[in-house]
Amino acid sequence: MTARTVLKNEWRLLMADRPLKIALGLFVVLLGYALTNGVVWLRFQERTVEATTSGNVERASALRQELEAIEAGGQPSSPFADPRSPRVLGGPSGSHTAVLAPGPLTALAIGQSDLLPYYYDVNIYTNEASFHQNGEVENPLNLMVGRFDLAFAVVYLLPLLVLALSFNVLSEEREQGTLALTLSQPVSARSVVTVKLAFRALVVAAIVLGVSLLGALATGGFGSPGRILLWSVTAVAYALFWFALAAWVNALGRSSAWNATVLVGAWLVLVVVLPAAINAAAGLLHPLPSRVEMVTAQREASNDAVNRRSELLARYLEDHPEMADGVVADEPGLGALSWAATDAVNGRLEEVAAEHDARRAEQTALVRRYRFLSPALLAQEALLDAAGTGDARFADFQSQVRAFAERWREFFVPAIMADEQMNAGVLADVPTFSLVDGDSADLARRATAPLAVLAGLLALIGAAAGVGLGRVRGAD
Amino acid sequence: MIHHIVRKEFADMIRDGRFRWSAILVGSLLLVSLAHGWVQARKASQEHAAAQATAREHWETQGEKNPHSAAHYGVYAFKPRLALSFVDEGVDPFTGTSVWLEAHRQNDFLLRPAQDVTAAQRIGALTAAQVLQHLVPLLIILLTFGAFASERERGTLRQLVATGVGWRELALGKALGASGALALLLVPAAVAGATALVVANPGPTASPVARGAVLAGAYLAYFVVFLALSLAVSARARSSRTALVFLLAVWVVNGLVAPRVAVDLSKRVYATPSAFEFARTVEREMADGVEDIAPPDRAESTQRLLAEYGVERVEDLPINAVGVYLQESEEFSNRIFDRNYGALWDAFRRQGILQEVLAAAAPSIAVRTLSMGLAGTDVEQHRHFAEAAETYRRDLMRQMNGDMTENSLTGDFSYAAGAELWESVPPLEYEAPPLGWVLGNRILSLAVLGAWLAGAVLLASAQVRRAEVA
Repeated sequence: MTARTVLKNEWRLLMADRPLKIALGLFVVLLGYALTNGVVWLRFQERTVEATTSGNVERASALRQELEAIEAGGQPSSPFADPRSPRVLGGPSGSHTAVLAPGPLTALAIGQSDLLPYYYDVNIYTNEASFHQNGEVENPLNLMVGRFDLAFAVVYLLPLLVLALSFNVLSEEREQGTLALTLSQPVSARSVVTVKLAFRALVVAAIVLGVSLLGALATGGFGSPGRILLWSVTAVAYALFWFALAAWVNALGRSSAWNATVLVGAWLVLVVVLPAAINAAAGLLHPLPSRVEMVTAQREASNDAVNRRSELLARYLEDHPEMADGVVADEPGLGALSWAATDAVNGRLEEVAAEHDARRAEQTALVRRYRFLSPALLAQEALLDAAGTGDARFADFQSQVRAFAERWREFFVPAIMADEQMNAGVLADVPTFSLVDGDSADLARRATAPLAVLAGLLALIGAAAGVGLGRVRGAD
Repeated sequence: MIHHIVRKEFADMIRDGRFRWSAILVGSLLLVSLAHGWVQARKASQEHAAAQATAREHWETQGEKNPHSAAHYGVYAFKPRLALSFVDEGVDPFTGTSVWLEAHRQNDFLLRPAQDVTAAQRIGALTAAQVLQHLVPLLIILLTFGAFASERERGTLRQLVATGVGWRELALGKALGASGALALLLVPAAVAGATALVVANPGPTASPVARGAVLAGAYLAYFVVFLALSLAVSARARSSRTALVFLLAVWVVNGLVAPRVAVDLSKRVYATPSAFEFARTVEREMADGVEDIAPPDRAESTQRLLAEYGVERVEDLPINAVGVYLQESEEFSNRIFDRNYGALWDAFRRQGILQEVLAAAAPSIAVRTLSMGLAGTDVEQHRHFAEAAETYRRDLMRQMNGDMTENSLTGDFSYAAGAELWESVPPLEYEAPPLGWVLGNRILSLAVLGAWLAGAVLLASAQVRRAEVA
């Protein structure tokens, strides 16, 4: 009896098993639904990205036209929005939107992209408080429940399919009395189970990878082969983990019903209970520093700075230049005075934010250690990272925006302090944001730990299954 | 007869090691999540109260300045935690916690706690509501999937029926036996929850105890749905294994698949604008007005004021015309905000309603909606607070602009008000909506859960009556 015979028989059996065929068909339908959700979301984000990019171009060209008109002897459209002033040209009306293009495989995993901001308007007033944004407009209810995307289907539903396909891979033969017959041939229980499971794994992998690659193909994700590879390896390793678990439980020689109960229990504990328990433990042991206290601290920081600023008039004019019509024109030195206060506020905000971020980073590092307890969490992290919708890419984007805001200030603030005017000539030199996406080496480095642990778990359980199956005799 | 069945079922379950361990697991998760939720809610509640007091202090001690500068300085509002939020944190991690109430703008709520945690922490929060909505039904399934099917497999069902016991009694006895076993873990949790509710600072909830009682009732109905479904399937299924597989499939669809499918579906049916489009629309309408909302015409206002006071020049007005202009511009922008935010909230509401309708396919959606509503952590109650904060902002701006109008003259930029004015503004005091308001919002979910309850019980009685003994 060769592997080919087993495979051929398995295929026939599968085709004859109606409930199983229905389960497989349903799974394919669900994956298809998940993929279309991801594609709809990706297109939605792409439209926004396009709009922000054209917004940048429109703002810049409007400013250029106005500056050129003024240089040709025209008047600024408003004396309080004179683009020659560096506070206007580098301020909100001249701001540049820094945007994070959707992750290459967003269609496969929506991840954090519906929660975290993916673009920021950067101008000279950008400071730590500017990073407190909500991101996309989204119903909080939808954020709470989460989306039905491919990553969800892989992490939660794929194991169930795997278990449905394999919980009775050996016990059924025993219950039907065919095990003794099979093992009377020159094959071991180990090789029978291996071939049977390999066949099922091929079916499952073909479905999951087929839909994933289709998604990547439809949305241009093929530009990042490294990410597709990571995605595929993770999904397959995760599926294999569940196959190995089923093999191990089968090797214990109990009834199919017992296997089903134990495997569903394992799924429940590893996928549902453990992540929740980990989160609860993390929240209790390492509470997050409060953002609420941060608001108060920020407020006090800016109060201090503002209180040190001298005249009421200056403050008032800053709030409402248009209300000062005919009262006072732009006083020399006002810009420098006001910038000094802004800068003081920013400095304090940075201190407050740095303190908060340090505590938060500490908490996150501690919490992240616990993910090694649950293969579901490991798989989720690697899948989101591969898709470019995980926490790492957003954190990287934010730090790049911070650096860009710094460059922006360095460009405009000297002119503000010197009370200089700017002209159309400088427009070409105004900094623009271009995202430097982490290279595949970064990605590989981040994925190493979760994948290694997943592979370790797989090897461990696979070995246990191998040993257990080695003991199975036909006469049991 | 029936009490024999109840006693036998109860004793069976208590003796069953599988049940004992799963019940201990679920029971301890329930208690831990209640304790965790209570600690968190209390901490958040204290923080918010402290922050709100500090915000008020900042406002009162801001020093002498022009009332409009004070309006720009504004005040922060912090969303209070309602008493029952420790049972179900609902959408709270995904709505902001504070909003800056300042001149000219209706700001968004910022600082969503979920933004501060990792993706892993987002997928499964251990709250009492999660345990009640997902793990308890699973326990019910494990307890009862074999109620009829196993007895049939063992051949004891035939004997049982031969004793002359009615199907009704049999089913009721099995249901009561399972309920008794479940009560062992649910009653202590309910007592712990009720104690926590009484001991905790009740927060600004109207009638926390009544809310808690209805909440308990909703969960009870949900459990009965699962109990009845499970008995029905067990009576019908050919083998206990088939019953278990079918019930687990129901559980997965109910708790995992349907809620997420409903989210994406509701988003497609009732699309919301992107944040970028939304901001751009507001900006455009603020600049040019829209439809019948026109930006205030300053020249016209000036003419009206001059006519009203019978003077020729703005400088001769006994009031500060700028205060009037500012208030007119507030009134205008308020209409723009109402229009845009109103449409957005309505889209959210429609998405929520569609999901409530889809609870016809998955009762977990109905009980989730009711649970959040009663805990005060649903989208509607977030909107309720957001609107209260916005109303407060508008009153505040009106008061600041009014003071400037009355107590200074046009062109007088040196006018400064002091602590007296700041203190005359009443602090933001939020009153959470009463139970009737919450239930009024949730009639659909009540109806769907009721339909599930009636349907499941009818189905169970029909299936049990028709059950085969072997």
